[in-house]
Amino acid sequence: MHIPDGFLSTPVWAALDTAAVPAVAWVARRAQRGFDDRQAPLLGLMGAFVFAAQLINFPVGAGTSGHLVGAALLAFTLGPAAASVVMTAILGIQALVFQDGGLLALGANIVNMALVGVLAGYLPYRLGGAGEWRRFSIFAGASLSVVVAGCLALSELLISGVKMQRSLVGISLAVFLVSAILEGVITLGVVRSLERIQPTLLQDSPPHKSPALLFIAVAAVLLASVGVLFASQAPDAIEQLTDHAGPRSFGWLRQAGTGLAGLALIYGVCLAIGRTVSRNRSV
Amino acid sequence: MRHVVLERWSRGESCVHRRDPRAKIVALITFLAVVATAHRALAWLAPGLLLLLLAGLVLAKLPLTGALVRAALVVPFTGVFALICWFAGEPALGLRLLAKSYLSALAVIWVVATTPLPALLNGFEMTGVPRFLLMVCQFLYRYLFVISEEAQHMSKAAAARGTAARNWTAPGPSFRAAAGALGVLFARSYARAEDIHRAMLARGFDGRFLQLHSEHFRPADTVFALVASLAPVAVRLTVERVVG
Repeated sequence: MHIPDGFLSTPVWAALDTAAVPAVAWVARRAQRGFDDRQAPLLGLMGAFVFAAQLINFPVGAGTSGHLVGAALLAFTLGPAAASVVMTAILGIQALVFQDGGLLALGANIVNMALVGVLAGYLPYRLGGAGEWRRFSIFAGASLSVVVAGCLALSELLISGVKMQRSLVGISLAVFLVSAILEGVITLGVVRSLERIQPTLLQDSPPHKSPALLFIAVAAVLLASVGVLFASQAPDAIEQLTDHAGPRSFGWLRQAGTGLAGLALIYGVCLAIGRTVSRNRSV
Repeated sequence: MRHVVLERWSRGESCVHRRDPRAKIVALITFLAVVATAHRALAWLAPGLLLLLLAGLVLAKLPLTGALVRAALVVPFTGVFALICWFAGEPALGLRLLAKSYLSALAVIWVVATTPLPALLNGFEMTGVPRFLLMVCQFLYRYLFVISEEAQHMSKAAAARGTAARNWTAPGPSFRAAAGALGVLFARSYARAEDIHRAMLARGFDGRFLQLHSEHFRPADTVFALVASLAPVAVRLTVERVVG
């Protein structure tokens, strides 16, 4: 889902552009450092491959078909930094040449798909290890990248004031889930055929990790993205809190104060949980 | 393929084609920002900006209907959201989204259709986008059509062997065939990238693309950048003063 120009409100696109610029610069430097200068043609061709992959249809049954999105596949084969660079290049070319996604909204699209989407796809692959959970982690990574990118895009639209009925948000969530499962199955198929042809092309995964961590990570990312989606259309908890508490005169000061208090609260809770978990483990 | 049209247009000859890519990028960003931040009197502002873009298209000697139809590529996505807004009881918001995204797409087409993409990417490099990222974009665009044709050949070959006929009943085998085809395409693209790199090294590649003509920011470019970026601002200020 590529957001075109004119959909996002100025604070949203400006903030996301500002976030995307240093992130892309950092990722580009990291990807360049990873290999030598043969990296540029390689990443360019991988981008062309993702474009071309959309021309190969995958039958799903009952006459419908889907195609590969590719963010997770790139992360599994090139590593997360290089995959982000390729996705950024794809988004740029799509915005300029194919009118798919806007230029001012490019920052938003980059954050959704090239940065967060790629990371969400890579996380399960990294945690899943090489054991019996490998296939599940490949599937989960590819699905997560689609769900997370879709949820982020939709919540940015909702925050920007695009009106949407509650039921429609639920329907689009269902659409995201279906296309996520499809992406997972396709990516798994492609990875398995790559394993047969040329296993060296895939990133090494660590020998063994616990599946519990994998499940917790997948569930956390899934919950967070769906939560962001629903939070973006509900009245903000912090805003509600500020309406009830504190003097009314210092508007921004009061909001900043409650925001910081909320952050401190969340930090405290996370710290407490972390302590308990580590104590239990050491016993 | 559809996109080759833009490529052909960008090799044309007009006073807009001759301008420095950086001047056009500045003008484009200003136009997009003017459209994106507009919220008052859009019913008058949108036709005004459309007239401005049409004047730009005429000045660049681009086919008017062709450009207008191409910009309509955004309509399927935008239209769905416009309809959703309509059903949510805000038809004005839906129309606004439609108008804004169409104008923005047309502005991007105006720049991309008057600047060959390699030159445009070079222009972006001089505005501070990481060179590595732009090199990846250059390679992506150069090999996009090569790899796409390879993919089309593969799916045609698969169809010739009868995969399409079985889609309805048992998708399994043809699904596996498609996954295998993508795996092969991936490995082939990877190998091709290595060949390309070796060929580049053999020709003395030292980490940057050479340009046949040097980029000079001429006084005419400065004037163009000023006029082209002040025009939408002027249109918006006039409309908001007269109507709002």
